[in-house]
Formats: sequence, structure tokens, C-alpha cells
Amino acid sequence: MSQYRRYELLQDLAPVMVDQALIVCNIGFPSQELYAIQDSPKNFYMLGSMGLSSSIGLGLAQTLAKKEAPQTVISIDGDGSVLMNLGTLSTIGNYAPSNYILLLVDNGAYGSTGDQPTHTSGKTDLAAIARAGGTAQVHVSHEAETVEVMKQCLSNAGPHVIVAKVSPGSPKLQPVPFDPGYIRDRFRFEIT
Amino acid sequence: MVYLSHLINHIFINQPYDHDHTAKQAKPLFLQKTMTLISEQLLVELKRNGADYFASVPCKLLGDLIDLLEHDSTITHVPATREEEGLGLCAGAFLGGQTPVLVMQNTGVGTIVTSLFSLALFYNLPITMIISHRGTPGEKIGTQVPMSNAVKPLLDVVGIPYFPFNHHRDVKKVGRLVQHAQVAQRPVAALLDFDFWRSES
Repeated sequence: MSQYRRYELLQDLAPVMVDQALIVCNIGFPSQELYAIQDSPKNFYMLGSMGLSSSIGLGLAQTLAKKEAPQTVISIDGDGSVLMNLGTLSTIGNYAPSNYILLLVDNGAYGSTGDQPTHTSGKTDLAAIARAGGTAQVHVSHEAETVEVMKQCLSNAGPHVIVAKVSPGSPKLQPVPFDPGYIRDRFRFEIT
Repeated sequence: MVYLSHLINHIFINQPYDHDHTAKQAKPLFLQKTMTLISEQLLVELKRNGADYFASVPCKLLGDLIDLLEHDSTITHVPATREEEGLGLCAGAFLGGQTPVLVMQNTGVGTIVTSLFSLALFYNLPITMIISHRGTPGEKIGTQVPMSNAVKPLLDVVGIPYFPFNHHRDVKKVGRLVQHAQVAQRPVAALLDFDFWRSES
């Protein structure tokens, strides 16, 4: 049986989340994969600043939460990158609004740099850290189970943290071909 | 005035900032009033120019400002666990349509450099940075001095315009700084040293 990696997960998730929510997507392969699977002006591709996907999404969700019908924000982050900004799980635990979903794709590896193992492939449990950081609705799912979990999260008030377990590895793709100003501006036009 | 400056140093440097206000109550009233008053003016000017989202990492010199932010229901305030996280929060707030301010100590300039380049400058994000400039005259902690000297060269290298705030009258400049960030389409920084927080003219 072929392996179920982040790419396969994003393929399965695209129909339920792309164009439905504002997505802040992590630097490197995750953005390349999301772009290749389904580009949308509602996707904000990070081209740098590893570790800050959850924070950018949180600031955005807080801003939108003040509006009458707030758009949902999904931050796609990884195990390696969230470990670089671990304090974010405490900030999310205390400050995330109900329109915020953090999708932690946990493949136990630094995928964009050659699949070096992260600590989540050892003893570290990101879901436990998210809970301890103060988030009540933390979901752990494996492979394609995440699609149903995401559907539930999109229809029930958050904040939610999803720890989605997948296998390491990525297909060979090209970098996102957009200028950062273009990514920024077309994303901002999607804010209502 | 020697006696007074010792007293100011003692109060500004040695007194821990305390959220339950016990440390503040220990301050002589006139000094407490000075810092609070300048912080209030700072916030008024920031808000008057549209600032409505604040992420902060604490500094003793910014204690009163952060206290005001925490109790101001007209703005959003998020205490960040480190400066890079604060920058990410501000980036998101800008994408959502708010006018963000990052409140931090100058030591954090050292840890935030990569994200200033690859997030704030790469995407042209207007973020006003209110930075306390520790290690300037008035400082009592020696370890603050080396980073203090590196702050301006670092900001030069990164390409962040910065403006020294060294007299309480400079509080009026902060509004133009918020506007300048919008015009420059990049972060701009105010460096608030010890003299900024003194009341003498």
C-alpha cells in the first residue's frame, strides 16, 4: 500500500477547506503542495519566517473575529515548525477566537530539508502540549480520518487544534511562482 | 539632582514590574504619574493614528504602556511569548485589515531579524515597532549595553527606519510613525530610551 503523506492529506482536504476558509500555509513543501493541488486567492503562501504560520493565522483570526460573520482561518503548520515557535500553543490556548483552526500536520520529520527526524518522532506529543497550553478542543487523527475531523471543526465553533498524523516524504514540486506582493494583495481582497 | 537621579535609577531599574501593582504602589507618586502619563499619551497618539492591534513582549520601561493596553477594550492586545511570534501576529492582523503595533525591548531585535527579512520586508508589511532602548544612559544592568549598541546597526542592515525618542515631547512623533509605516510599506521603529520617560524638560 502506498504511503499516506501530507500531499495525500492535502489532496483529500482540499475539497472541504480550499476556498471555504482563509488558509495560512506553512513555508516550503506544504505551500508547494497546496499550490499544486488547488490554488486559491484565499491561500496565503508563506515563503519564509518558518514557525510563524500559527501566529499569522491567529492575528488574522482575531481581527476577523470582531466582524459580524467572521471568516474561518486555518493555519497549516508542521511538527518541525511549531517546535520552533512552541510558545504559540500557549498564546493560542489563551487568545485564539472561535474562528481559528490550527492544522498541525505531524509527519515526524523536517520534510523540506531532507526528512531529518523531529522530536515528535521520538517522545514529544504535540496534542498534549496543545492541551496543556490551554486549548480545549484538540483532535488527533490519522491519515484520511482528518477529513472528517476537519469537516466537524469547520461546522463547530472553535478554536480547534488538529494534530494530523501522516507519513514523512513529499513529491517533487516547484516553488510557488508568485511574487510575495501578489500573494499578499490577492489574499487581502478576500477579506470580507 | 544627584540624589534624584539615583532615586530614578533605583525605581526604574531595580523595581520589578509587577502585575498586581504592589511594585507600582511602592513608587513615589510623582514618578509613577510621569511614566503612566507618558504611556497614556503614547497610546492616545497611536490610537488617534489608527493603531488598533498590539502584540507585546514585556520590558520594565514599557510596563505602564502594556498595563494600559491590557485594560483598553477599544483595541486588541496579545501578550506574545517572543518577538518573532509578535511579528507573526502583527502580520496576520495587517492581512485582516488592522493597523498593528509590536511593543518590545531592544534585545528582541537580535532574535527577530530573520522574520523581519523574510516576512515583514518580503511581503511589505507596515508594522509600527515600539522598542524600549535599554542599555542607554540610565541603565544599571551591564549586560544590556552590548545589545544596546548593536540595535541601530542591526536595524540599518535589515533596512528598518528607526527614530530615537529621547524626550517626553517626542511622544507626539509616534502618530507620524504609524503613518510612515503605511507610506513606507514596511516596519518602522521608535527607540524609546531612558530619557524619554523622564519628566524634566
